[in-house]
Amino acid sequence: MEKQSPKKLEVPLTALKGGETAILTSIKAGHGRGQGRGWGFEKRLMDMGLTPGTKVTVVKSAPFHGPLEVLVRGSRLALGRGMAERIFVEREKE
Amino acid sequence: MTKKKLVIALAGNANVGKSVIFNHLTGLHQHIGNWPGKTVERAEGTLHFEGHTVDIVDLPGIYSLSTYSLEELISRKYIAVERPDMVINVVDASVLERNLFFTLQLMELETPMIIALNQMDIARKKGIEIDTERLEELLGIPVIPTVAIKGIGIFQLLEKAIEIIEKGNKAKPIEVKYGKEVEEKIAKLTEMVEKIQFWYPPRYVAIKLLEGDEEILKEVQRIEPQIISTAEKLANEVEKFHGHSCSTVVTSEQYETAGCIAREAQKLVPPIKPPMEEKLHNLTTHKILGYPIMAFSLLLVFYFIFSFGGYTSELLSNFFYGWEPLFASVFGTEIIGKLVWGGIIEGIIAGVTIALPYIAPFYLILYFLEDSGYLSRIAFLMDNAMHKIGLHGKAFIPMMLGYGCNVPACLGCRIMETERERLLAAFVTTLVPCAARTVIILGLVGQFIGIQWALTLYIVDLLIIFFLGRLAFKTLPGEPTALIMEMHDYRVPHLKTVLKQTWFRLAEFIKIAFPLIIVGSLAIKLAEVLGLLEPIATLLSSVTVMWLGLPAITGITLIFGVLRKELTLIMLATLLGTTNFAHVLTPVQMIVFTLVAMFYIPCIATIAALVREFGWKKALFITVFEIVFAIVLGGVVLRLLALIT
Repeated sequence: MEKQSPKKLEVPLTALKGGETAILTSIKAGHGRGQGRGWGFEKRLMDMGLTPGTKVTVVKSAPFHGPLEVLVRGSRLALGRGMAERIFVEREKE
Repeated sequence: MTKKKLVIALAGNANVGKSVIFNHLTGLHQHIGNWPGKTVERAEGTLHFEGHTVDIVDLPGIYSLSTYSLEELISRKYIAVERPDMVINVVDASVLERNLFFTLQLMELETPMIIALNQMDIARKKGIEIDTERLEELLGIPVIPTVAIKGIGIFQLLEKAIEIIEKGNKAKPIEVKYGKEVEEKIAKLTEMVEKIQFWYPPRYVAIKLLEGDEEILKEVQRIEPQIISTAEKLANEVEKFHGHSCSTVVTSEQYETAGCIAREAQKLVPPIKPPMEEKLHNLTTHKILGYPIMAFSLLLVFYFIFSFGGYTSELLSNFFYGWEPLFASVFGTEIIGKLVWGGIIEGIIAGVTIALPYIAPFYLILYFLEDSGYLSRIAFLMDNAMHKIGLHGKAFIPMMLGYGCNVPACLGCRIMETERERLLAAFVTTLVPCAARTVIILGLVGQFIGIQWALTLYIVDLLIIFFLGRLAFKTLPGEPTALIMEMHDYRVPHLKTVLKQTWFRLAEFIKIAFPLIIVGSLAIKLAEVLGLLEPIATLLSSVTVMWLGLPAITGITLIFGVLRKELTLIMLATLLGTTNFAHVLTPVQMIVFTLVAMFYIPCIATIAALVREFGWKKALFITVFEIVFAIVLGGVVLRLLALIT
């Protein structure tokens, strides 16, 4: 049931460079690939402010493919990389 | 005039200063326990105010009222079912939008509430100015600005809460409105829900049904399955309309409202001074510098605790053992005297000389670091490493604790989100060499073979943690969870709150560990008095002598070690009549003995902690597993070392 809208350039959060800001488009948690992190985590991310349409700034990521530090709605979050790979964003137009 | 007892609950996000407010309100009259049948903490306190007796309940710090965690479920049920007279929603002024998201959810529970707009000072520093009157208007709820850490606004907060309980709220709280197509569906479901008996308000139930909230779906299914099928149909319609799940739509719109209110009520101005906190954050999470800073801080902490602990522990035990002759003269040195002194009193001494010198400063520093915000930075840095054993960064914290003592480490695993991760983290922490095991490693191997061998044992320990952690991670059913953690701004911790947390943890440790340590030492003393130790040692000799290649006497010391691991070494000295172990043990025997002592069983207090957190079965399983593992490991290492030497 995953929808990919080809007209926009959707990239995972992990593709952003440090300091880059983008608009969140969707969270693809829980579906497929036998990972099944489930509804709980999608909801959790949204509860922390990561809802579609929100501005997200990636500050940096910890070394050796560590977690991401992001700014969202005025708060600073640490997101595990596996999780961040499932959060899709659209780069803001320059 | 007698007034009835009032109940006020504190609710809010984590790290907003809720417990500081709780401490200001209740002072020393507080009680920390667990929610019935749950491992979630419940803090309660009493205060007297203008002739009222008020019970304050501090709810867990949470970000939402969904069913993501037990804490959220408990909070929401408490508010809906127990119906406190007032909910004080503690809001962090420096992260207004996200905090208001939680506020809106509380409002949907239709509970009487007021807002404590806390950390106004931090907000101002960040350049956020909040018009509290405007915020009050927008929400229809009284807002009291506070700086809890300095005690500012606490009195006004309480005054307002009581006033509203007595006279009611003049303004009417706003209702969060969703898009038209969603509102239609909420209205339809609300109408259906109104006909059934349920503890949540009908509109709230309707919204949660659309979102697919597990608890509410289950409960309503039981009462009226018809509603569920309608809800599913309606949720599907919303999903089709928006192209997002219904829960996404609802959450987004709640945040939309929270964002609008926040933007209207707050004004952003340039920060007053260049924020030091920001620099500190960048430094402590720096991709290169962050690690040496962490290593240095942790080493400093451990160095301090071990030197402080070693010194005070000796002072204390000298003090206690000074009473031994007096005791002997009262109870005699016969069986009774031996049992009372060797069993009960020595048990108490054992507990006290661990709890006060080591555990207390450990907790103090831990809470200091946590409150300041540094622990979350450590979790951030260590997330990747912890993933190797299927845990996320937060698990590093109990593991680190384990190097001091395994008991608080096991209890500290509560910070993990799911039961599975709590168990996994607790298992791993029981493998961490605690202070007592450090005594053995350094006192035996370090002193008689060489420090490089002692360090090797620490590295072997890390490898074993990695190997067994991975094994447990692969075998335990369930999914790994990822790190989702807030890193709040660095701040100066509130000393009184930290001290109080330390005290409660210490009391908890005493409650868990002391009874078992005393019973355990009494049992062993009894065995000794009855002359059972020798036969037991003989019985164990097939393992200790034949398989592990150790002197038969070690069977006895290993039994004592269950009480406290360092007793294995102390008893060895006593039984062998020498502290120069080089005379009685070969280097290979020392290494095998130390390895076995490190892993062979969690000490009795740790077992008690495991039982408390996970129940008898799991605690027993971990214990038995570690006994078997240590025996196998010891035997294999013996044979491997024989090949080398």
